[in-house]
Amino acid sequence: MDILNNWAFVGIFAVMAPVFPALPIVIAWLLRPHKPNVLKSQTYECGVETVGDTWVQFRVQYYIYGLIFLVFDVEMVLLFPWAVAYNRLDLFAFAAGFLFIFLLADGLIYAWRKDVLAWK
Amino acid sequence: MGEFNVWTSLPAVAPEIGLTILAAVVLLLDAYLPKEKNRARNIAFVSAVSMAVLALTPFIWAPAPNTSELFWGGMVRHDALGQLFDVMILLAGAITVMIAVDDSGVGRRGEFHLIVIIVTLGGCILSSSADLVMIFVALETVSIPLYVLAAFRREDNKSSESGLKYFLFGSFASAILLYGFSFLYGLTGSTQLTAIAAGLNSEIVSGNLVAVLAALLMVIVGFGFKISAVPFHFWTPDVYEGAPTPVTAFVSVASKAGSFAVFMRFLIEAFGLPAVSADATSTLVVIDGQTIQTFWVNLLTVFSILSMTVGNVLALRQKNFKRLLAYSSIAQAGYTLMGLAALQAQSAIGQDIAMASITFYMFMYTFTNLVIFAGIILFVEATGRENIADFAGLQRRSPWLALAMTIGLLSLAGIPPAAGFFGKLFLFQAAVEANLVGLAMIGVLNAIVALYYYLIIIKIMYVDQGIDEDKPLAMPRSYAWVLGITSVVIIILGVIPTPIFDLAQQGAAAVRLAMGS
Repeated sequence: MDILNNWAFVGIFAVMAPVFPALPIVIAWLLRPHKPNVLKSQTYECGVETVGDTWVQFRVQYYIYGLIFLVFDVEMVLLFPWAVAYNRLDLFAFAAGFLFIFLLADGLIYAWRKDVLAWK
Repeated sequence: MGEFNVWTSLPAVAPEIGLTILAAVVLLLDAYLPKEKNRARNIAFVSAVSMAVLALTPFIWAPAPNTSELFWGGMVRHDALGQLFDVMILLAGAITVMIAVDDSGVGRRGEFHLIVIIVTLGGCILSSSADLVMIFVALETVSIPLYVLAAFRREDNKSSESGLKYFLFGSFASAILLYGFSFLYGLTGSTQLTAIAAGLNSEIVSGNLVAVLAALLMVIVGFGFKISAVPFHFWTPDVYEGAPTPVTAFVSVASKAGSFAVFMRFLIEAFGLPAVSADATSTLVVIDGQTIQTFWVNLLTVFSILSMTVGNVLALRQKNFKRLLAYSSIAQAGYTLMGLAALQAQSAIGQDIAMASITFYMFMYTFTNLVIFAGIILFVEATGRENIADFAGLQRRSPWLALAMTIGLLSLAGIPPAAGFFGKLFLFQAAVEANLVGLAMIGVLNAIVALYYYLIIIKIMYVDQGIDEDKPLAMPRSYAWVLGITSVVIIILGVIPTPIFDLAQQGAAAVRLAMGS
């Protein structure tokens, strides 16, 4: 049965997938010595000790800023091929690119007029 | 499809182009109009009138009669069915904007009207999509702004709760739908619906019946959520009750009509239709000797019975008007699913009536639900209460409002001369043509159960004594227009349903012929 063989692969993968990463962790846990001290348990290399409570609220403005930034960030991905093929575009593709830029600019003007870009 | 030509392709998306321009203009209006008292109201009037005018575009740039052609690289179809769904969604958008202007929570903010325009845009694309990618993009263009609208009253906890619930359940359903789509793409290597049908019928897919059924089931779960069919209905009552009332009205018609349109197209185009006579060819997808249509027809029959029964029985006990309409809309989805199940009919007339009855039902349901919701908005804005008992003596306080709501309720119940009568009649007729007499009987029994709770409301409005009957309700002019126009449309559709139904049947025949059966 061909189908069964195909599904068997899925089955083998399903079994192997959790085992594969879990095995080294279990082996390391069995072999390693366990001698913690204050210096060892500290944060090192990345991150610093936090000052005050970590569960503070961020201003919602960060989010809107981030969103507007992201829109124009992603715009680049779409406009890059358009710009590269600029001298070979037909009228439709040319207009489509500008329409896209216009719609994004429209949104930016709106956000600007609504004082989203002013940091309060 | 042939050579791509922009100018011949533009009419297929005429309303969508108009809505995009309108959205860009309204965005700038909202940004630049000076801050004065009538600002949001002016934006609302511009949006409503523009959408009502755009509802003419599907007729000005009408599809060639008796054809259902693919445009934009097989992404959208241009046919009479799509045309009718475009019209009803555009009018739903226009009416929603009009009935929102005096709602204290939403209507006085300009961006509300903008978001409604974007949902309308999504709905128009959705109703004519013919490609999995297009369906998903359009479905999300409808859904994501609706999540925002449901949570529009930030200061109101119920509205936030409703928005969050709608978002969580909705995105979960979308994920399942997308997973189903990915299966279909993986099996056939195509996202275009008719190409998927061809792919499923080819040798490559044989032996993969289980995978195809799994994909079908996931897609049905996704669409079942959007049209709030039992057992995927649990979000409906909470979202309907908590969301601002104009939003509830819009969710109940636009999102539902668009989803039904695309659900119908998906089932027809990806899984085919039976042969219409002995010498005609069947386009049904058959895998390993099993006809896929049998599976979804049986499944949708069960969902239809469950939706009708659960919706109607639970509606009997509701005290809140919006919650009652939520359960009523679940029941209405059940009736409409009957039309989808009737697609198994083995005659041309049967298949055409099945498609046309769904279209007509959604068309009349749009106006019916909006007239009732307009009445609720007006009443709640004046009194601050939304329980059914609070409507007691409404006839003495505002006879015209009571009359308009009565027409709406009669239409939901399916009593002539309101349009709902023909809506139900066509659906039952489609079920009988498709040899689903048992299903039609259950539908009739359910309609009788539903009659009880609709008539009770009319009795409360006309007979019962209210606490402040001597205080008449003021009727703003915009609401008077909306209530008047929608009531008249309901009556006209109920007296002469043929123009719309004939156009729908013509569109249905075009879809059937485009499938090649």
